[in-house]
Amino acid sequence: MKKIALLFFAVMLSCRIVSFAAVGCDLNDPDRDVARLYPGSAGYRTVYLSIKQAGGEAMLARVEKRLGDKFSGLFETIDVPYTLYEIQGPDRRTIGYIHGVNQKGSYGGIQVFLALDSSGTIKSFYFQKLTSRQAKELRSPEFGTQFRGLALKDFESYDVPSGKAKPGTAVAALKNPAPEAVQDFKAALRAVKKNLILLDEFVFSVSTGGKKP
Amino acid sequence: MNGVYYIAAKNLLRKKTRTALTLAGIGLSSWVLASLLGFNAGYKAALDHDIDNMGFQVLLTAKGCPYEAATLMLKGGTGLRYMDQSFLAKVNAEPEVDRTAPMLMHAVFDPDKGESGGMTAYLGVGPDSFPAMKPYFEFKQGGWFRDPAAYEAVLGYEAAELEQREVGDKMLIPDKNIEIKVVGIIKRTGTQDDGTIYMPLQTVQKIFGKEGKLTGIGIRVKKGAPVAKLEEKLYDLPDVQVVSMAQVKSTIMNLLASAKAMVFAIAAIAVLIAMAGVVNTVLMSVFERYEEIGILKSMGAMPSDVFRLILAETGLLCLFGGAVGVAGAMLLSRVTEIAMRHFLLYAPNGRIIDITPSVAAGSFAAVVAAGLLSGLYPAWRAASVRPLEAIRGEGV
Repeated sequence: MKKIALLFFAVMLSCRIVSFAAVGCDLNDPDRDVARLYPGSAGYRTVYLSIKQAGGEAMLARVEKRLGDKFSGLFETIDVPYTLYEIQGPDRRTIGYIHGVNQKGSYGGIQVFLALDSSGTIKSFYFQKLTSRQAKELRSPEFGTQFRGLALKDFESYDVPSGKAKPGTAVAALKNPAPEAVQDFKAALRAVKKNLILLDEFVFSVSTGGKKP
Repeated sequence: MNGVYYIAAKNLLRKKTRTALTLAGIGLSSWVLASLLGFNAGYKAALDHDIDNMGFQVLLTAKGCPYEAATLMLKGGTGLRYMDQSFLAKVNAEPEVDRTAPMLMHAVFDPDKGESGGMTAYLGVGPDSFPAMKPYFEFKQGGWFRDPAAYEAVLGYEAAELEQREVGDKMLIPDKNIEIKVVGIIKRTGTQDDGTIYMPLQTVQKIFGKEGKLTGIGIRVKKGAPVAKLEEKLYDLPDVQVVSMAQVKSTIMNLLASAKAMVFAIAAIAVLIAMAGVVNTVLMSVFERYEEIGILKSMGAMPSDVFRLILAETGLLCLFGGAVGVAGAMLLSRVTEIAMRHFLLYAPNGRIIDITPSVAAGSFAAVVAAGLLSGLYPAWRAASVRPLEAIRGEGV
C-alpha cells in the first residue's frame, strides 16, 4: 500500500511541464479527427508554425491589420505555435488543411478548428474546447454547418472590434444560436477570421507568391 | 617530445579511414560515458529541486488515497474518502511541525473540454498557510486571494494559458454553474504547480459539499527537527497515510537504479569496445610497420623510444576521440535529454543531463586512461621487436 502511495506521488510529480514554450492548439486525437473530417484521406503531415518564425513583427502587424484588431493579452502573442495538419489524398497530393486557434472566451479558452479544402474554403467548423453556459447551443451541428462553404473573402469585411458584419454578406447571415452568449459568438467569429488569415499567411500567400488563390 | 607526437600523428594519417573509424569509436564511447555521468548527476539534482519546490517534507493524505486519486481522475471526484479537518489541529500540536497547509482537491467532469469531455481539478488551499509554503512563487499578474471564502481563483501559468484567463476574467465551474473570478496568475515554475487552479479552501469545500473535509495536509518540519520521529507519530493517526518526500525521492531513485545499472553496463561495454578498437588499430599498425620498426631500432632507437612512439599514437587517438565525444555530449545534451525523457516513466523538471566541467573532465580522463591502458600491449610488442628478424620479415 505504502509503495503504491509513493509511486502515486512520483507520478503526481511527473505532471509537469517539460517545455516552457507557449501553448498552441493541437488536435486531441489527430488520427481520429483527420479520418472523421476527411474520410477519403490517405494520411496527413503535421507542420509547426509561428508568426515569429514565419515573418516576425512585420507579419504580426500585417495579420493584425487584416484582422482589424490587435493581438492582446498575456497569451495571444507573436510566439504562439500553430499546428497545421496538411491532409493528403490517395495520390499523396494535398486535399485540405486542418488548423485551430485559441481564443479568449467569456469563461475560458475556446479552441476553434477549421477543416478546409485545398483552396481555403471551410469544409467543417468545430469547437474542440469551449466553456460557456450556452456551450450546448454553440456546439450544435446546426451552428457549425453555417460556416461550410465560407472562405477568407467572406470575412474580410467583418469588423472584429464591433462584431458587426456588412449587411447582405455571408457572415451577416450567420445566426447566433444563443443570444445570451453573444460574447462567445463574437469570439468564435474572431477566431475563424484569425484562423483564415493565419492560414492565408502561412500557406496560400506563400504558395501563390502573395496572390490570393 | 614534440617530434614523437609529430611522427605519431603522421603514422596515424597514413591510414586515414582506419584512424577515423577508431576515433569515431572512442568518440562515441566518451559521448555515452559523459552523457550517463551527466544524467546521474542531473537527474538527482532535478529531483531534489522538484521535491524541495513542493514546499513540504511530509504529506498526510486520507488512507486509500492512491486508489481514490485514480477515481478522482476517472469519475470526477465521486465516492472519495477524505480526512477530517480536525486532524490539522493534531498535526499542528506536534513540536516538530513548523507549518501546515491543509488542501482539498476536487475534480469535475467538463463535457465541453475536448471532443469527449475532460477533467478539471481545483485545489482548495488556505490563503495564509499555502502561500507561506511556496514563497518562491512569483506572480505574472495579481496575487493571492485574501478572503478564505472568496469565489476567486489563482491560476498556474499553464492553466491560465490553456483557459486564456487573465486577472479580472471569470471562470465557470462546470456542472455547478458557479462563476469564480481570477485574481492571480503565477509565473512559470516548471513544476506541477503550473497546471493547477487554486481556490480558497473554504470555497472549494462549500461548492463541492465537502465542509470540514480535506484530501491532504502538507507539513513543513522545523529546521533540524527529526522528520522520522514525526512520521512515526503520524503513523499512529487513524485512517491517514503518511507520505514522506524523502521516501518519494528514494522510491524514484530505487526505480531508476536498476535502469541506471543496465545503462552503466552498456557504457562500460561501449568503453571496452572502444578499447578493443584501439588495441586493434595500433596493433595492426605495429604489425604493418614491423620492418620499419626494426630499421628504426637498428639505427639506434631504444625500446623505450619505440614504446613512447606507439603509446603517443594511442594517446593522440584517445585525446582527439575523447575530446570530440565529450564536446559532442555537451553540445547535444538537450537532444539526448529529449530522447531520454521519451523513454523514462518519470523525469523531473530542469536539466536531467547536467554535464558539468568536472563530469566532462572525468569522462575525458577515464576514456584517455582506458585508451592508454589498451595501448600498452601494442607498444610493448613494438618495443620488443628484434631488429634483424624484423628486417628479414620474420617474427610477426
